[in-house]
Amino acid sequence: MLEKVARPGDVRRWHGGIPVRHRYTPGVAGEAFFEALRTRGVLLGSRCERCGFTYAPARLFCERCFSELAPDTEVGPGGELLSFTIGFVGLEGEPLDLPVTIGLVRLDGADTAIVHHVLDPGDEPLEIGERVEVVLRAEGERTGSILDIAGFRLAEDEIA
Amino acid sequence: MGRRAAVVGAGMTRFVRRAQETGKELAWEAASAALASCGLTLDDMDAVCLTSAPDAFDGVHMKGEYLSDGAGAWGKPMIRTYVGGGSGVFAGIQAWYTVASGMADVVLVVAEEKMSSTQPHPQGAFLTIFDGVLERPLGPNLLWIFALEMNRYMTVHGLEKRDIATVAVKNKRNAADHPSALLGRSDITVEDVLASEVLAWPVQRLDVSPVSDGAVALVVAAEDVAPRVSDRPVWIQGVGWNLDTTYWTNRDLVFPEYVADAARMAYSMAGVTEPRKQIHVAEPYDPFDYKELHHLEGLLLFDRGKAPEAARDGVLDRDGDLPSCPSGGLLGVGNPIAAAGLMKLAELFWQLRGEAGERQVPGTPERGVAQAWGDLMQVGTVVVMGVDPARGGGGGETSTPPASPRGRSLSEEEFRSAPGAVEHAVDARYEWDTGVAVGRFLDGLRAGKVLGRACAGCGRVLVPPRMFCERCFRQTDRWVEVESTGVVQTFSRCHVSWDMQRLESPELPAVIAIDGSDGGFLHVLGEVDPDEVRIGMAVEAVWKSTSERTGSILDIAHFRPRQREG
Repeated sequence: MLEKVARPGDVRRWHGGIPVRHRYTPGVAGEAFFEALRTRGVLLGSRCERCGFTYAPARLFCERCFSELAPDTEVGPGGELLSFTIGFVGLEGEPLDLPVTIGLVRLDGADTAIVHHVLDPGDEPLEIGERVEVVLRAEGERTGSILDIAGFRLAEDEIA
Repeated sequence: MGRRAAVVGAGMTRFVRRAQETGKELAWEAASAALASCGLTLDDMDAVCLTSAPDAFDGVHMKGEYLSDGAGAWGKPMIRTYVGGGSGVFAGIQAWYTVASGMADVVLVVAEEKMSSTQPHPQGAFLTIFDGVLERPLGPNLLWIFALEMNRYMTVHGLEKRDIATVAVKNKRNAADHPSALLGRSDITVEDVLASEVLAWPVQRLDVSPVSDGAVALVVAAEDVAPRVSDRPVWIQGVGWNLDTTYWTNRDLVFPEYVADAARMAYSMAGVTEPRKQIHVAEPYDPFDYKELHHLEGLLLFDRGKAPEAARDGVLDRDGDLPSCPSGGLLGVGNPIAAAGLMKLAELFWQLRGEAGERQVPGTPERGVAQAWGDLMQVGTVVVMGVDPARGGGGGETSTPPASPRGRSLSEEEFRSAPGAVEHAVDARYEWDTGVAVGRFLDGLRAGKVLGRACAGCGRVLVPPRMFCERCFRQTDRWVEVESTGVVQTFSRCHVSWDMQRLESPELPAVIAIDGSDGGFLHVLGEVDPDEVRIGMAVEAVWKSTSERTGSILDIAHFRPRQREG
């Protein structure tokens, strides 16, 4: 049944794609989070009193018990480094001029973690469990984006 | 047939053009409304059945997993099922067998769609349903297949567009009484529909349901649980589903046989022997107005070609003999794909409990049928629901679906300027191999021949050719050169591109039944006045010159009215 293709040139392919792009808006809780980040420079979470659990960034509902939540709990700016990785290659496998350090951080007051860059990690090796703090862009530069957070840096008392 | 299962709760969001909520937030609103409607909590749910259309719609890969927390699936067994536009009703079928099998006592069923994320138009995500080698080079868009099916349905039965347009009028008027509706219009007339922009003749703007965002949820419980949590459980009495071949150009298109097979399966399970007497309310799938009629015939509720008369004569009105889409359907409430299908089950739940408010059909309906349709015009999903006669209909306090949106519908300006919004493209590229049979077919085209494959099992000559016969499920037997002439099975005059931009001159897509074969394929017509094209017209291939031919479906430039003697 299957006919063997002896000459690779005989294999013909048709090319195509899915010609769409997507625009995501951040939703009810997400809008509150980004608005507070841009205008007030604070990070908002949502506290579920029933579960005793605080989500950050803020959410509209508790995924554990389905309670409606309000985006009214400030978290951070300090936090704990739960894990990190150092990237030496880009998306296409190309070597990077400078390695990129990515941290998983649980902000003070939150029970969930967020991912962002670790800035200027310095020469000393990072350690899981270290104290870090959020570095925001200047108020005039903030646009309402996750990049309004420049990244995390080691907390002052850790450096000292 | 396992344990009995009943719908005991239902909820939905408003259907809107562009929801402020994320997909997760929409799913949560619908799911919490469904739980609240029957006084249950997430802790009471043993499993979650989720459905949503292809990931490319939202550009969210693994959308089921993404939506899971909004669907209440944290720490629970969840399954996402998907059969194209048929998915919403299929989620009800999935819930039925999750409960009937004994795997779960109570399940949460959630359907969500957020189509507004897709730019420039969600149709772009549909383009890959067409065959990458034989159809996409022709530049098809989704409207083609609807227009081609509608034209054939109308022409073979000699139907009036005016009668079909009454369905759009009925549903948009019905939707004016639905608190969650996007496109309810109590003042719309048939003249409005007939005067609306022609997109791909015979499809006009108001024949089509709108791009929408929304979510719907149900709670389904086993027979020993349902009566404890609900004063009037609505039993899932029968389920059925069926698929036809993806070789859609080999099909008749006049009658959806796969819907009929799905309906027979569901009626048989439900003990329905005379559906026209035993079905009191119907929610057939209505993404286009003709589809509702096509499906009512497929559901065996009307003779073939007779549903349009029923629409014209008011039989399908809310107070008619067979109320059809009393909700307002996809045409009126909106068409967030998977959610719109599940809405049909929710509407039967409210109708059979006498809780549909302004939309309530008169009398005491005891049994209804919901149906959805999709994939490449090939799947039918059917659910029959009913209440126990002793407790049936009437007397229930009136309530409408608990629509309590947290968000709002975003304006274009809000959509463009929302804080935190991001935009990106999947940017994936694909290469499709021709495969064995189509590779040889394309070699034939380069040589100026149309080739088919003969199946000795069923005696058909298959065009497009395949190395196996999908009916006999055996290897096909030999290559056959067929004619490069044929007959127009159906055609359209399409005035818009897939991203809904107006074309300068219409394209003339057509399905050509190829002489000497039992099949045919999609192509375009040329060298003809668009207004002169008729179904049944004899046509012939116009070949590119030998040097221009590359082994492509485009080696045939187009088909034109036949000029030489046959």
